[in-house]
Amino acid sequence: MNWRNTPRQWGLVAQGLHWLIALLVIGLAFVGLLMDELPNSPTKVQVYALHKSFGITVLALVILRLIWRLYDRRPELPAAMPRWQQRLAGLTHGLLYLLLFVMPISGWLYNSAANFPLRWFGLFTLPALSGPDSELKRLAHEVHEIGFYVLAALFALHAGAALWHHFVVRDRTLLQMLPGRAALETDR
Amino acid sequence: MKALLFALLLCAGLVQAKEWRVDPAASMLGFRGTAQGESFDGRFKQFEATIRFDPADLAGSRFEVRIATASADTANAERDETLLGGEFFDSAAQPTASYVAERFETAGPGHFRALGQLTLRGITKPVTLDFEWKSRAEGAELIGSATLDRLDFNIGTGDWADPDMIGRKVDVSTRLQLAPAK
Repeated sequence: MNWRNTPRQWGLVAQGLHWLIALLVIGLAFVGLLMDELPNSPTKVQVYALHKSFGITVLALVILRLIWRLYDRRPELPAAMPRWQQRLAGLTHGLLYLLLFVMPISGWLYNSAANFPLRWFGLFTLPALSGPDSELKRLAHEVHEIGFYVLAALFALHAGAALWHHFVVRDRTLLQMLPGRAALETDR
Repeated sequence: MKALLFALLLCAGLVQAKEWRVDPAASMLGFRGTAQGESFDGRFKQFEATIRFDPADLAGSRFEVRIATASADTANAERDETLLGGEFFDSAAQPTASYVAERFETAGPGHFRALGQLTLRGITKPVTLDFEWKSRAEGAELIGSATLDRLDFNIGTGDWADPDMIGRKVDVSTRLQLAPAK
């Protein structure tokens, strides 16, 4: 498997970033939904701190991924794919990227407006995006919450489309994002 | 007779140092703690102080400060709510903290030490307040600081006692604008 993308397959960098971000976002979503219910305790504070640190990690990885995407060519879409599907896929990917920015930034803003510090895994401190501000805090929380549902819907569409390509259309779309054998396989 | 009355009044004046009235709008009582390795600042929005002080009469001086623990404000709603709760200030059961000092030492020109007792959460421990006293034409200013260990007063019980989560050391700072009491 190549570092870079080929016409037939996403390369190691693109795949690594894709799956790492996917894993982190799924983890963040579950923890994010549950952590509010925890009784107030040092454990809750630590769970929030981890949610924030992983969220900032996703933000950094998404920036890296966009830079890599600008630099690296992308594998070809299946030739038989209708225009409207190509457009819908492009729109879904664009919105996914947008939400991958909206979620960490609204979380960061919420944290700043609530006047909590932001330390990345306890190693260094990130600057506050605003001073204490209860109105901004409420707004940022709302964006973070609505953003979650939009992201969840986009995720379902994205993953559903990948499975549909693989099991119904039986093209290489999902294999392009999987390591190993896809590169060796001939076109179906 | 008049002379005797005057002498008595003079004596009464010597027994106690001058009394001062705090201007609440121009005064503050703040604290700085650490949580998760980051410092945060807070203040008590409500406190009263009875200050009797004369740099030339430390023996007749006395401080008494009463602090409404529920007025603690760290500009963070979640943290403030936790601070007032049973594991921290326990403001419902212990609404008032107090600081009383009756012994004073000189610590340099214009600088003094109050060897007082802080009562917080019902626990009384000695706390030294270092302060600078600035006499002004129209009044006086007191700029003071003290350091205390939150665990001496059981601030943060149970799992919250962990000093890695919340530092033990708390720096208290105060600035009082004082006018002569009438």
